[in-house]
Amino acid sequence: MSQLDIVGKSFPQIAAREKATGETKFVTDLVLPRMLCGQVLRSPYPHAKIISIDTAKAAALPGVKAVVTFQDTPKIKFGPRSEDWTIFASDKTRFHGDEVAAVAAVDADIAEQALELIRVEYKELPYIISPLDAMKQGAPLVHEDKPGNIGAEFKVEAGDVDRAMDDSYVVYEDHFYTNQVYQAYMEPMSALADVDLSGRVSIWTGTQIPNMMRMTYAKALGMSPDNLRIVVPEYGGAFGGKMENNIHLIAAVLAQKSGRPVKLVNTRHDDFLAGNPRVPMHFDIKIGATQDGILTAKDVKVVGAAGARLVYSQVIVATACYRVDSLYRLKNVRAKGYTVYTNSVPTACFRGFGNSQSTFVLESALDELAIQLKIDPAELRIKNGMGSNETSVHGWKIGSSGLRECVTKASKAANWSQKKNNKTPFKGIGLACCNHVSGNRPFAREFDGGSGIVRVGKDGRITVFHGESDMGQGQNTTFAQIVAERLGVTMDMVNVAQVDTDISPFGLGSFATRGTLMGGNGVLAAAKDAYDQMADIAADMLNTKAADVACRKAMFFSKSSSETKISFQDIASEATIRHHGAPIVGTGFYKPPTELPDPDTKKGNISPAYPFGCQIAEVEVDPDTGQVSVTNFVAAHDVGRAINPMATVGQIQGGIAQGLGWTLMENMAYEDGKMINADFVDYIVPSCFDIPDIKAILVEPIEPNGPYGAKGIGEPALNPTMAAITNAIYDATGVRIKELPVNPQKLLAQIQKLGKHVKE
Amino acid sequence: MKHVRIHLVVNGEDYSLFITPNRVLLDVLREDLELTGTKEGCGLGKCGACTVLLDGRPVHACLTLALQADGCQITTIEGIGEKEVHPLQEAFIDKGAIQCGFCTPGMINTAKALLDANANPSEDEIKQAIAGNLCRCTGYNKIVDAIHSCGCQSEKEKGEVR
Repeated sequence: MSQLDIVGKSFPQIAAREKATGETKFVTDLVLPRMLCGQVLRSPYPHAKIISIDTAKAAALPGVKAVVTFQDTPKIKFGPRSEDWTIFASDKTRFHGDEVAAVAAVDADIAEQALELIRVEYKELPYIISPLDAMKQGAPLVHEDKPGNIGAEFKVEAGDVDRAMDDSYVVYEDHFYTNQVYQAYMEPMSALADVDLSGRVSIWTGTQIPNMMRMTYAKALGMSPDNLRIVVPEYGGAFGGKMENNIHLIAAVLAQKSGRPVKLVNTRHDDFLAGNPRVPMHFDIKIGATQDGILTAKDVKVVGAAGARLVYSQVIVATACYRVDSLYRLKNVRAKGYTVYTNSVPTACFRGFGNSQSTFVLESALDELAIQLKIDPAELRIKNGMGSNETSVHGWKIGSSGLRECVTKASKAANWSQKKNNKTPFKGIGLACCNHVSGNRPFAREFDGGSGIVRVGKDGRITVFHGESDMGQGQNTTFAQIVAERLGVTMDMVNVAQVDTDISPFGLGSFATRGTLMGGNGVLAAAKDAYDQMADIAADMLNTKAADVACRKAMFFSKSSSETKISFQDIASEATIRHHGAPIVGTGFYKPPTELPDPDTKKGNISPAYPFGCQIAEVEVDPDTGQVSVTNFVAAHDVGRAINPMATVGQIQGGIAQGLGWTLMENMAYEDGKMINADFVDYIVPSCFDIPDIKAILVEPIEPNGPYGAKGIGEPALNPTMAAITNAIYDATGVRIKELPVNPQKLLAQIQKLGKHVKE
Repeated sequence: MKHVRIHLVVNGEDYSLFITPNRVLLDVLREDLELTGTKEGCGLGKCGACTVLLDGRPVHACLTLALQADGCQITTIEGIGEKEVHPLQEAFIDKGAIQCGFCTPGMINTAKALLDANANPSEDEIKQAIAGNLCRCTGYNKIVDAIHSCGCQSEKEKGEVR
């Protein structure tokens, strides 16, 4: 590849200056004339029959412009995957926080008073929170038409698991649990909705999936998708959490009823109660290996709690069943997954998408195998790790794999061998690896690629349109770099448009670590198209052929005689003049070489590229309290090529911080069926003191399918963190953590039960 | 509720406001003065996104009644850089300390108060100062680095980011 001017260099986010000066208008900052404040009345019970709702007093309060319940909606069942949602609860509420009614008023105080005036008569019903209890016979049903509370089942099997297990030298078998945690993006979910005179609805909201959301919401609102417009301003983080959610639809219904714009911003409490946190999962794992440490077979059962409606949990449980199988050269695998309805908040996507849960389990199990076999855990990973140009048990074609390099580089940087062998009481070091995807073929059935539009105005200003979503991770900057590189211009010439479904391409969005590869390849194709159009004009003006034309630093020149140069702006101006005002518009798309998995065998290459990583944590455990602190952290990640190394390192450090919070601090707790720590007072996320220095190492094997060789990094940044920390806790104390988060009292009790410290 | 008259000096400009006494400074700044750079992350003083400087001290605007700020000097993120971008803002930009940017205004205000009081803080002093400002994107490493780079006198100590 020729020399790169822009790609591979660290640029600040293109929006960083606005963000640093407070100029950025986030969703919660938006204001429209005559805008009303929306607020939602939520169920105080985990499961209750609605006997009656009286909204008369609320509606009569001066300043209240709309009060809405299920009766004011189209009463259509909908959902992104399984149509078990309604905009408001109809006959009964199914979780503490379920939407019952909403108001729109001229200010927040009046809206709050109005909510207090709504009289709802409930009859409490028996509830279930644990998915294991929910599966038992006689358990209360969350949805009457779902016997056993089973929302979905998934199974996959390849090879001969039983035989391979029998033939194994060692077999490890255990039960693990990963808990429910909250994304805790800093800007709560919010929406601004407006309806025009024709009835067309516009929603401004922070969403990872503007176009798919539009399709789901059009159905919910009983309208044609072309009557719905989604605009995505800058928004404050998502981490998987900002997909479909009823509050957007409630804002729309309130705007329809009041005839005025309505902004609805979740309080932090409401965001905890009715966001879409991580799917909690129970795992039974059985895994075998030969005496040499070659993995022979893996068998898992996964039970995940969907909460009161299926959002994406069934796909997440499926992912937990089998994605991690392509981390190692496993041949014999079997998994059974159950997604179970419970009377708790609907769970969905959170960085890792099930693979983080199963990576915790698999990498804990590998630590056990390494101990039983007396093999260095790093060596065990290197022995089994998937390499470049290999095909996994599920038919995944691994183009490039930097897994082994990640293990060796992380080990070296962390001084692994020395620290692993140097035993100090209550100090430990642990290692874990991960794989992931860069896009997931079956997530949206119709297609999985990316697309873009690159517009070059008469002044030479470039605007990139995409339909993905920058949730703060810096995707717009990455896209700007890719486009600037392809066009041969400087970064200050490239602008990235806000996603607006009226204008932007139909991008699938930002999930499955797909943005950089899918969206990046999409805007790259569009940039190539724009470039080719400009090169034709440049060739004409330079009296040469288009193939002889090049552009660098915004100057077109002939490669054979580089004496004459014409600026990019001049070519853009000439193009617009020749085309009587029409700008250059490049469009393009990327069709990945993927395949839908076979419905029975689940075999099929689901992603064009697979990122890998290895993380090493060092911990200290307080022998008096059981408190764990992470003292050092090294993370080596195969990112294909880092388009923007500073941003890539930022993703890694941020992912690890979230993984650390999950492992040691965070848990959404329930008592009497109600979430009891639904705010930042009682639900503590990491502060700067909890996060150690994180050394990030970028391993760049250059992925053939990636834009300039790039893969994704968002989710793999977190996937191995939990096991790296808990394996370090084992090294420090001899206690195997099988349940997240680590509970200091339990850990202390287990340490005392062991009697003698293993490292002493 | 009876309205009261208050006077605020915000980013050097005088404001005379007629408000109900129950309103918090955050809402008055965001709604009445349209200074939306100050963010609400939790409403309970636990995330620091609403941090502004009240007579130079960092406070949670979500927990401060506007009435309490009567007669005080208030600096919001819009007033930090005055005409130029403040070196702290520049450092946050250049060091990659900003991802979604929702915590950034509060974080920069807290850091500004620290540097005004202590021109060359240690890493631990920086962490003490920003311990009440949550960031969910960056893992804090780059934020501490950015603040540290403003405090350090010597270029060499500023450290490189790739």
